[in-house]
Amino acid sequence: MPEQYSLYKWTMVIDLDRCTGCQACVVACQAENNISFNTEDRFHQHRVMEWIRVERYWDGEFPQGRAHFIPILCQHCNNAPCEPVCPVYATHHNEEGLNVQTYPRCIGTRFCANNCPYQVRFFNFWQPQWPSRMHNQLNPNVTVRYRGIIEKCSFCVQRINQGKRRAQREGRQIRDGDIMPACVQACPPSALIFGNIKDTASRVYRLAQDKRSYRLLADLGTDPNVVYLKKVEY
Amino acid sequence: MPELSRRQFIKIAGLSTLGASLLGSCTFSKVELLAQSPHQTPEDLVTGTDNWYATLCSQCPAQCGIVVRVVEGRAVKVEGNPLYPINEGKICPRGQAELQELYHPDRITQPWLQKGQRGSGNFAEITWDEALGEVTQRLAQLRANGRADTVLLATQPLRGRMALVTRRFMEAYGGRYMAYEPLEDVVLRAALNQTLGQDVIPEWDIASANYIISFGADFLSTWLSPVRYAKGYGEFRQGDRGRGTLVQIEPRFSLTAANADRWIANRPGTEGLLALSLAQVIVAEGLVDSNVIQAFTRGAGAKALEEFRPERVQETTGVTAEVIRSVARDFARQRPSLALGGGASAHTNGLFNMKAIFALNYLVGSIGQKGGLFFNPNPSPETQPLQAAPFAQWRDLVGDLLSQKKPLNLLLIHKANLAYGLPSSINLSQALTQVPFIVSFASFLDETSAQANLILPTPAGLEDWGDDIPDPGPGYKVLGLRQPTVYPVGDTKAFADIILALAQGLGPEVKNALPWTSFREALQDGVRNLYQASAESQRRASFTEFWQSLLQQGGSWNLQERIGSQGEPPPLPQPEPASFAGEANDYPYNLIPFLSNALYDGRGGHLPWLQATPDPLTTVAWTTWVEMNAQSAREQGLQEGDVMIIESPYGSLEAALYLHPLMPPGVIGMPVGQGYWAGDRYSKGRGTNPLAILAPLTDGETGALAWAATRIRLRKTGRRSPLPKFEGVVSAIQLEDEPIIQTIKANPSTP
Repeated sequence: MPEQYSLYKWTMVIDLDRCTGCQACVVACQAENNISFNTEDRFHQHRVMEWIRVERYWDGEFPQGRAHFIPILCQHCNNAPCEPVCPVYATHHNEEGLNVQTYPRCIGTRFCANNCPYQVRFFNFWQPQWPSRMHNQLNPNVTVRYRGIIEKCSFCVQRINQGKRRAQREGRQIRDGDIMPACVQACPPSALIFGNIKDTASRVYRLAQDKRSYRLLADLGTDPNVVYLKKVEY
Repeated sequence: MPELSRRQFIKIAGLSTLGASLLGSCTFSKVELLAQSPHQTPEDLVTGTDNWYATLCSQCPAQCGIVVRVVEGRAVKVEGNPLYPINEGKICPRGQAELQELYHPDRITQPWLQKGQRGSGNFAEITWDEALGEVTQRLAQLRANGRADTVLLATQPLRGRMALVTRRFMEAYGGRYMAYEPLEDVVLRAALNQTLGQDVIPEWDIASANYIISFGADFLSTWLSPVRYAKGYGEFRQGDRGRGTLVQIEPRFSLTAANADRWIANRPGTEGLLALSLAQVIVAEGLVDSNVIQAFTRGAGAKALEEFRPERVQETTGVTAEVIRSVARDFARQRPSLALGGGASAHTNGLFNMKAIFALNYLVGSIGQKGGLFFNPNPSPETQPLQAAPFAQWRDLVGDLLSQKKPLNLLLIHKANLAYGLPSSINLSQALTQVPFIVSFASFLDETSAQANLILPTPAGLEDWGDDIPDPGPGYKVLGLRQPTVYPVGDTKAFADIILALAQGLGPEVKNALPWTSFREALQDGVRNLYQASAESQRRASFTEFWQSLLQQGGSWNLQERIGSQGEPPPLPQPEPASFAGEANDYPYNLIPFLSNALYDGRGGHLPWLQATPDPLTTVAWTTWVEMNAQSAREQGLQEGDVMIIESPYGSLEAALYLHPLMPPGVIGMPVGQGYWAGDRYSKGRGTNPLAILAPLTDGETGALAWAATRIRLRKTGRRSPLPKFEGVVSAIQLEDEPIIQTIKANPSTP
């Protein structure tokens, strides 16, 4: 069902031809969103929590091979398979195109994670912990999640809200490039671009029309708000 | 009304839902959902305002500009400084982790004195007065006895005012000084000096280049200034012009090789030959201007390079003549083009390799050209950096200590982890026992500090003052400033402040050489010179205003101040074959240690964010792995996770195997950065350190460590240790019919 959106529809464009796979986005996201660090055990248990991750695909073997990288985060689908299965409406769609997770509502059925074709929803199997003093680095603008609930990429909703308030205070519209999620801000080769696709002058609008653009698993009909640009092969 | 218990409430709620669904009217109004939608609440309810401070990152030698978000006295986020010319707002994983350095639970926050046997870890806390008194007294006594030259100060390479303070102190005191870095840039600088006439690293204009050949320079991961280069790479690929072509020539499949359009695996140590062979093709086929060819070959023309014809070198280099020819033609035709040399320096013929590579830039006219390389200004005498001493000097130092030829009475160490980085074959640990007193300036216990008698804790990067003249710079003068962003976490003193405090107690000669009471004052002194020399002194009301404006934006730079130069091409370097430690029959593999994408040379090992950052290619985190060609491993019946003994003629260690589909057979890669035995809770006892088993071979002329010149053999232990890796955490969704990574064929780029 197409949603009636407000002035904004937040979209991220990921240019695979720029992406180097360096992991800067991954660490930036963990720093911004108070994700407790992944211990060695979590790697062994396959319970690593990375709201944005960089997947690496081998293509062929020596001497005729290459490696491809793709950053994957919540696609903020317009027809999100995770939403209808939540029995408590903890995950739902907001009027700006974000797929939002309401932590206090979540009861941990993990139906959403089960239904997500992109595997970007993470369950807190343990109470997140920070050793003494390291809790000082926690971002006060982001809730610290607790054991037993699902969490995922929020497109840095706290930054979107801040950006809106700043624009309001200064009595102006939000400008293209004003709001940057942590991953977008860090990305050294600028492979990630964020903006309002309703603004036809925005970079994301222009890039989404590019002949290289496509969406992940498009045939599932999830209609994501993350647009990928194809990697160019030599 | 009796209070409703939780249980009752759920019962009632359940019943009414059941009732509602029976009646077929189970709908929540959307307005109701939106009205109470709390996705906005927690993020909205933050009191207080945040402050942003511009400073410098301290996690690698590039020292990017950062801004730190501070909320109520706590540093909560590090971001790239959009104004700083090196990284222009971008930041790598290591920079983010500055926060964890600051708030690390195992930081040393009080001076520690060794009470038991050295190395026993039996430290007791003492006061700063006691600690400084002890060091001053020892320094003064040695100087009074005429033994000042038995004092050695070893630091990491230093730049800016920190270098000035250190140099002046050691000169006035009369002691010895050496800078240490595990994978040193000695060869790179010597080669630049001999080809470009300058040992300051130039600005490589990756963003505007059209064709790049990189000889083992992993510039997207760890080489020199990776954030700057990765930013340029983004523009190189999809900027507002034709897409550039990247060729990586390297025996190991690095992150840069993974992103290259063409990766050519050569035999280790043959990079210089390949570079000259490319030159031969360009000269023989006349692909560039004949004047350039005449100058490049000193008038000899194609004859000068005859011995490097592709057909003659293809056997040695392992690269076919056909490939060499096609790369050479593209390199010459698709200008502006650029030749970079990185890992090529890690051999016994490193200097030859690097000189041959950099000379290519002359041949295609890339010196001082857009899309080529720009010179960086030479530092003034005041800002002369202290560069890393080559490995040969460290080897000699250790030798002299062991033979007692040149004993040391006092060793001062600042962030130079010798015990970890120097190959164990030179026996540093034995040599250290010959030094009666060791003082370490450190924030964390490392292998060298653990051997110290006294540890003086230094601040984290985010608590410290400092400045930097970035090297490599962006092609013009830059001064970056570091300032404290939060109140210090412990009772620490900056290294430079300790030096100044020590100078106070060492008599007028030393004291007068350092006329400052604090390092901040020394910094201001430098900035005052800048202020007086520039037009700013007219524009600004006072020096204080100028100083504050600099702190606010993170430093001072002037984009107009570019220097151009088109020097004479260097003489053609004389070819030299690489030699290796270990006979090929006994030791069939070349070991190539490489800097870890997250931990760098190990200096990020204590930070859990970096430990947990998967390696981009193998996706392994938290440990060391050995990467080996998957095909040959399978042929030997090896599996991923098999614990192998890696044996060089100089030692052995153990690590789990990773089956790498793109590693050339005959080459084994191992990341540097793990294998700490004395460190903190996150790095201690984790993985192994390949530097320990390297042969003490050096590049002949410079004496730099040839860290890729060791051959090894592998043996199975029979044990298995599953690798902690990201691969497999989520199931791969790359499909045959609709792959998640889609590609498009490149338009042939226009020359």
